[in-house]
Amino acid sequence: MSQPIIEIANLVKRYEMGDEEVFALQGVTLTIARNEYVALMGPSGSGKSTLMNMLGCLDTPTSGTYLFTGENVSDMDDDDLAEIRNREIGFVFQTFNLLPRATALQNVELPLVYSGMPRAERLQRATQALERVGLSDRMDHKPNELSGGQRQRVAIARALVTSPSIILADEPTGNLDSKTGQDIMRLFGELWRGGNTVILVTHEEDIARHARRIIRLRDGRIESDEVNPHAPLA
Amino acid sequence: MLRWPELQESFRIATSSLRVNLLRSILTTAGVVVGVVLVVLMGWTINGLDAVWEQTISIIGKDMMYIDKWNWAGGGNWRKMEARKDISLDQALVLQQRMESAEEIIPLIRKWGGSVALGNTSLRCSVTGTTAAYGNTSAGTTLAGRFFNDIEERSADNVVVIGYNINKNLFPSQSAIGESIKIAGIPYRIVGVIEKRGFLFMDFVDNEVFIPLHAFRGAYGFVGRSFSVGIKAGSERLLDIVRDEATGHMRSIRNTPPGDESDFSINEMKAFDQQAKNIRVGIWVVGMGLTLLAFIVGSIGIMNIMYVSVTERTKEIGVRKAIGARRSSILLQFLIESALLCLTGAVIAFPIAQLLVGSARFLAVSVFEMDWASVVSPIIPLDLLGIAVGVSIVVGLLAGLLPALKASGLDPVEALRSE
Repeated sequence: MSQPIIEIANLVKRYEMGDEEVFALQGVTLTIARNEYVALMGPSGSGKSTLMNMLGCLDTPTSGTYLFTGENVSDMDDDDLAEIRNREIGFVFQTFNLLPRATALQNVELPLVYSGMPRAERLQRATQALERVGLSDRMDHKPNELSGGQRQRVAIARALVTSPSIILADEPTGNLDSKTGQDIMRLFGELWRGGNTVILVTHEEDIARHARRIIRLRDGRIESDEVNPHAPLA
Repeated sequence: MLRWPELQESFRIATSSLRVNLLRSILTTAGVVVGVVLVVLMGWTINGLDAVWEQTISIIGKDMMYIDKWNWAGGGNWRKMEARKDISLDQALVLQQRMESAEEIIPLIRKWGGSVALGNTSLRCSVTGTTAAYGNTSAGTTLAGRFFNDIEERSADNVVVIGYNINKNLFPSQSAIGESIKIAGIPYRIVGVIEKRGFLFMDFVDNEVFIPLHAFRGAYGFVGRSFSVGIKAGSERLLDIVRDEATGHMRSIRNTPPGDESDFSINEMKAFDQQAKNIRVGIWVVGMGLTLLAFIVGSIGIMNIMYVSVTERTKEIGVRKAIGARRSSILLQFLIESALLCLTGAVIAFPIAQLLVGSARFLAVSVFEMDWASVVSPIIPLDLLGIAVGVSIVVGLLAGLLPALKASGLDPVEALRSE
């Protein structure tokens, strides 16, 4: 294994729902190295969404430590977390989450806007990212002028544009037909082979099968963590 | 830390969001529109009144003061002034001999309800008896002919200088100079016409005729009338010195014991300034109250719509936060949107205010023929526009603050989950 990007130890997340305490994560320990292709699986209520939010630095744990590329993010404040997300993490969502009134290019540019990059450089990098996902001819289209697969490609370009340490995809094919889903999974495969670290969150075995390593959660704990025997060869 | 690209992005989002909800945005700004219109109208009214006032009191003459039994500005105790002894011609002449700092000392005596007649036409006017020196004051400047002179005064000629309105009404198409009119049944030769001075409620000053003192005595007598003494200081700078000297002499001439209040008033333009100030403060207070009310109502509307906007765009805020927007970026985005919303209100308000101002002035000058209104500017001055823009931006920022704080404080996980 090469150097770890993510080192999680004894991660606990507790929610208070009224008088009741709900443990979404009950001591998760996990290490993910650079250029891994990981699928995070589990039924609803297993804590996989909570774990994904932690991994994506969208949320902080109740206890335990989270080292991201060696930095302790467990007790960072909102703005520091925002900066880590901006620089190191590319999100791909089930519902694409593109800004409806912005063009594909503007959507892809957005993370660079928040990192304060000058316009010329931003345009160049956003264009390159869109070319990489095969959408160089759709740059001026708004999301409602694109198909579902194309929207997800824009979202992937947006995730790629900052050259993040990890790409975190939450049910990326959940809103796509199976053929388009396969195309998108092929794209993730290409990204992984190109050197990216990809973390998939899914409840579909078919999708998880694309990953090299499958981590299964149940009741807030890791149930199994194994190399995927069905993974396509690199 | 504020970053330029973020600022640009905020403006882009704000303008596009205002465009998308154009009708909603415009309706929302109604309160602000009313507020800005009121601010502009209030400022314009005060400016206009200042101009009118300036014009009005300049009739008195900036370098002039008048010693009189009465306080012209209306201050003081009316009964007390009524009880004052009349100022006599002798007192005026003694003052004339003693005064050193003033340029001219001019005794004036007036009959308010007089009349002049030309043929069968008779006009009501006030008749003033004075000396040739009156011709040296700004109030005595002639439009045609000249003021009567020392020689005519001493030789007891029946000469008259007529006011602007008298000339206009009696001699609408020919020159009045050399013509003869009758005052109290005695014919007078017109030697001059005074230029137009009357203004607004001071219009009566143009319904005046000036005759030498001796003629006045012959026509009406001095008994039972109080003289007014016009003092021309020659320059505004000298007013204080002249006033002090005149007060001292006048007290001594009228035997006022030391420590007692003077039994005469000194009237100057300055005395009217206080009245002008009161009127201005009055307008300001009323206008400010209305404006404040409009802006409060307006900002509640803006705040409400910004809360709606934040709720509608919770998901978008979540996405922006996920991809790296910091609290300040989101805060800025919504503050700019709210400020632009108010600015839109201001932009809508300007043509409305200009239209109101323009029509008010047009109606006054052209339809109701109120000449005095022509000194009021028909255009909203730039500094007022600047103030209105500034105020609307500040209102926008204040109204948008709470919604923007709410947006920037949203939890990204919660926000992403919302639909």
